[in-house]
Amino acid sequence: MATTATDSALANFLAHSLELESEARERYGELAESMDAHHNRPVADFFRRMAAEAEHHLQEVAALAGHMTLPQLKAWEFDWPDAEPPETASYEALHYRMSLRQAMQLALANEHAAERYYREFANRTGDAGTAAVANRFADEESGHAAELERMIAALPASGLHLREEDDEPHMPE
Amino acid sequence: MTDAIRLKAKDYKSEVKPIWCPGCGHFSVHNAITKAMAALGIDKDRTVLVSGIGCSSRLPAYVDSYGFHGVHGRGLAIAQGLKVARPDLTVLALGGDGDGFSIGGNHFIHACRRNVDITYIAMDNEVYGMTKGQASPTTPMDWDHSKLTPHGPGVRPFKPAALALASGAPWIARGYSGNPNQIAKLIAEAVEFPGFSFLHVMSQCITFCPEQTDWKAIVTESEAPPLADADEAAKQFLHEDGFQTGLLYREQRATWPPPGATAAEEGAPGKLAAAFRV
Repeated sequence: MATTATDSALANFLAHSLELESEARERYGELAESMDAHHNRPVADFFRRMAAEAEHHLQEVAALAGHMTLPQLKAWEFDWPDAEPPETASYEALHYRMSLRQAMQLALANEHAAERYYREFANRTGDAGTAAVANRFADEESGHAAELERMIAALPASGLHLREEDDEPHMPE
Repeated sequence: MTDAIRLKAKDYKSEVKPIWCPGCGHFSVHNAITKAMAALGIDKDRTVLVSGIGCSSRLPAYVDSYGFHGVHGRGLAIAQGLKVARPDLTVLALGGDGDGFSIGGNHFIHACRRNVDITYIAMDNEVYGMTKGQASPTTPMDWDHSKLTPHGPGVRPFKPAALALASGAPWIARGYSGNPNQIAKLIAEAVEFPGFSFLHVMSQCITFCPEQTDWKAIVTESEAPPLADADEAAKQFLHEDGFQTGLLYREQRATWPPPGATAAEEGAPGKLAAAFRV
């Protein structure tokens, strides 16, 4: 059977979606482990929860892709608006003393970035079927962002900045 | 590649979990190495990562391949010896700015000159992180965050790309830890380049140099093809700000040892192999 333009557009979109969610899962998992290593348990637990969320969405995308033949792209061949996929937390935004509030704000920014990416993809694809799926994903990311905003609002007012109970990096005398 | 199933980047990670500080740029290089290995379909069992000492030199433990955590500054010496003895292996040497440009500085310049077919990834955070934040050979001269150098080191930092070029390195690139996918692409190209490939990665240490989070706004990705003219490259490397990333310089020249010098290549001892035979 010949490949239609819809198949091709959707396959490209789903390949990017899978990479986006896979990278988010890997990064959040990695961040959770590194926070565990530095005894920042609340942030580690939060990042682990975010990794599970990304895994859940990844499975949804994978199920949608089903038996479609997706383009096999190398890590650097994907087309992202920035250096990394939109939902992937930047390393330089991390700190071993970061508070739960800061971690949630980081995740919130990632959810907004993912929503923006999906929405823009929908707007520029030119394929109605792909646009519908992209808009659906954007709505899901919007829902995640709203949930995170609720969680942030429920946090105590303290903890806006780096955790004070942790030691400063040792500097030699 | 010999594995029946194509491996993904995560399949190249070992079960040992990194203990770098959260936010460390070395996580990015770790991810980039595994992405490059997956993209190239590199056989884990025929790949060796060799390092010196320091935060970045912990990296071989985190990759599911052969690894050698060597002596401070001597990763390049070990890596070159290994490649000469076993030219069939893919050999990557890894280390930081202190390990590579200070303690191992002499090995670095001679590795560039010798041109053994290995890849050297120097993760430069401009500080000795493992020993808690002292100035290194690439620390800005006015960096006064360490009590050992309260007025800054007061000496001009090395320019690793210029040093590599002057020493004869035929392949010179620069990456930034905020862009692991670009680093992965550069590593893949470096591994495939027939000769000594030097990848200088600006890898932030947010614990001891929090100001390095500003790098993201400074770094630019070069769209230009790599220079092939050493004079032109020298002028660029001596006068640039050091934040331009990409493959910067490439030339073709004979690798060392010459063909037929080792037993493994020809199935019979060459002059070099014979010299080491007891």
